[in-house]
Amino acid sequence: MKTTKKHEVRTTMENKLIVTMNRRVISLVLGILMLLSMLGLAACSNDAKSASSEEKTKNESPQDIEQQADPEKSVSENSNTNEDEIKDDTSSQADTSSDTSEIVEGNFKIGISQFAQHGSLDNCREGFLLGLAEQGFVEGENLTIDYQNAAAEMAVASQIAETFVGKDYDMIMAVATPAAMHAYNAAMDKNIPVIYSAVSDPVAAELAKPNGESVGNVTGTSDALPVEAQLKMIREIMPDAETIGILYTTSEANSEATVKIYEELAPKYDFKLVTSGIATSADIPLATDNILTKVDCLSNLTDNTVVESLPTILDKAFAANIPIFGSEVEQVGLGCLASEGVDYITLGKVTGYMAAQVLRGEKTANELNFETISESFLYINSATAEKLGVDIPQSMSDRALENFSEIGVLQ
Amino acid sequence: MTILIGIFEQGLIYAVMALGLYITYVILDLPDLTVDGSFPLGSAVCVALIIAGVNPVLSLIISFFAGVVAGIITGIIHVKLGIRDLISGIIVMTGLYTINLLIAGKSNVPIFEATTIFNNDLLKQLPESFKQYRVLLVLIPIVILCKIALNRYLHTKSGLLLRSVGDNQNLITTMAKDPGNMKILGLALANGLVALSGAILAQQQRFFEASQGTGTMVMGLASVIIGIRLFAKIKLMSFPMKVILGSIVYKAIVAAAIALGLSANSLKLITAILLLIILLISEHGKKEKVQQYD
Repeated sequence: MKTTKKHEVRTTMENKLIVTMNRRVISLVLGILMLLSMLGLAACSNDAKSASSEEKTKNESPQDIEQQADPEKSVSENSNTNEDEIKDDTSSQADTSSDTSEIVEGNFKIGISQFAQHGSLDNCREGFLLGLAEQGFVEGENLTIDYQNAAAEMAVASQIAETFVGKDYDMIMAVATPAAMHAYNAAMDKNIPVIYSAVSDPVAAELAKPNGESVGNVTGTSDALPVEAQLKMIREIMPDAETIGILYTTSEANSEATVKIYEELAPKYDFKLVTSGIATSADIPLATDNILTKVDCLSNLTDNTVVESLPTILDKAFAANIPIFGSEVEQVGLGCLASEGVDYITLGKVTGYMAAQVLRGEKTANELNFETISESFLYINSATAEKLGVDIPQSMSDRALENFSEIGVLQ
Repeated sequence: MTILIGIFEQGLIYAVMALGLYITYVILDLPDLTVDGSFPLGSAVCVALIIAGVNPVLSLIISFFAGVVAGIITGIIHVKLGIRDLISGIIVMTGLYTINLLIAGKSNVPIFEATTIFNNDLLKQLPESFKQYRVLLVLIPIVILCKIALNRYLHTKSGLLLRSVGDNQNLITTMAKDPGNMKILGLALANGLVALSGAILAQQQRFFEASQGTGTMVMGLASVIIGIRLFAKIKLMSFPMKVILGSIVYKAIVAAAIALGLSANSLKLITAILLLIILLISEHGKKEKVQQYD
């Protein structure tokens, strides 16, 4: 009797609890949800543009390559996207295509897990597909791509990796360090090869041994910045500059690793280094104001948070008449003075070649050491130079891969 | 099948965190933002200890107490210094970001090769066909243990007092107890669970990442609500159990959004819509019930 009464009291209390708290919490959750969907819609409209252009490149690039490869057979096949039809294609292809890149027979499935929406990471992925296509793995022909983006959320990146493993793909391609670590962790047990790209320091991430060998069925390319070339370029453009400022996010391992390299190399070129660590993009305006009072120029890393907020930083830097040196071509297009950087399309291509070797069964990911692109490319924005009153030596403009004549150009 | 295992693994790991949120949001009726900081705190402490060679199980327990300390600090700031609950959570969460970096040493610390509760000699002896279940084999007992412990505790005198804090503070005062202290206790317990969840996650994913706390609170809150709403009609099920199931359902939603794979960038929107649908469906069932009690 006593116990049942106690039980009753408890249940009514619990029910009351739910009723009172539910209204509040539900409205909170609904609020959050609405915010989320609004953000989503905003992102969608943004993405719609990039997606449509992406689709274009997706649809065009394989076609282009195919046409280059074997111009004799074209229209009938380009319209095919169904997997069933592809099988027929590949068999007929084996007879016809013989010149440059032979389409490898089979149906390969690759899951691409990209950590965040970001210009250079997108380029990486595009380059990867181009590289694979050059090696005879063409999306829509003998290759199925499942592309997922984690929107910079760790928990989602992990679930994406697990989904890929669950679907038993032939390979997982991971763009950026967190995606690579999740992919390797998830794929370890099933021994699915993981190919990563845009991982600045594979050794620090324990994806490679200090001697460059792989730690498991995982390999890829590193986008370690050509810091020395960048410093040399800054010295060439600004012979009198004393201090370089760097803004970076303290939670990004890539940035931390690169800052260390800057610290080592800056004295060699007589630069003093001022760094300012931030936690979120909301800290950027204040941190920028602060650092601009202390430096002669800013140099960017491939820091995701900072690069995303580049327009804000550029605005403030222009107002203070201080040049910013970028770390990749997009940043120069946006208004950075110059950059000696990695070309992410090339990086992606190299990654694609490595993936092709693994897919063909020539080598396992375990046998391939990770690769770094040693070559750096110079990009200049002459409009920015004019605006800041900086003279760029003729020799530099001559060797620049690209010279932008406008500010705010997005590739 | 692997996808299903993945959902259960993730769901159960985050369920421990959701149990913590259940204490603060539902029982105490107190919005606690410390969670976004105490979750990675658990990971940081755990990874640092494992690198130092501490036993993985012991490092889980120490991580739990690290979270308890974080919760106590939030509680003291809120109760003793009289700062609003939301703000005190934000203060501690913000501070913890630096503390986490200090504890871990850097922003991304891998432990791929280390011995963890999911990767040790004992589990390596499992027959090959059981290997893919090894994470679940370890996780399920841990989560059940947490659930039973929490259930038991909520039925002790102290637990009953804790439950009345959010409901009827006067009751506690009339029983000559300080509701403030009960709040601190609740926050400590909640953040301990959250940190424990972070520690388990670090051992499962084999690395610590400074930014992994972002969004933890939203995720946990969604799990708690889904659990309580979806299983509202099942009276025999205890609330912690509902929360655990809610966490698994939440992860299933994310997995479904990934599987739908319309466009890579629409993942979040799909997740949001699926969440809304689930809540609306359960809301429908709920209305009848509320009317019964009114």
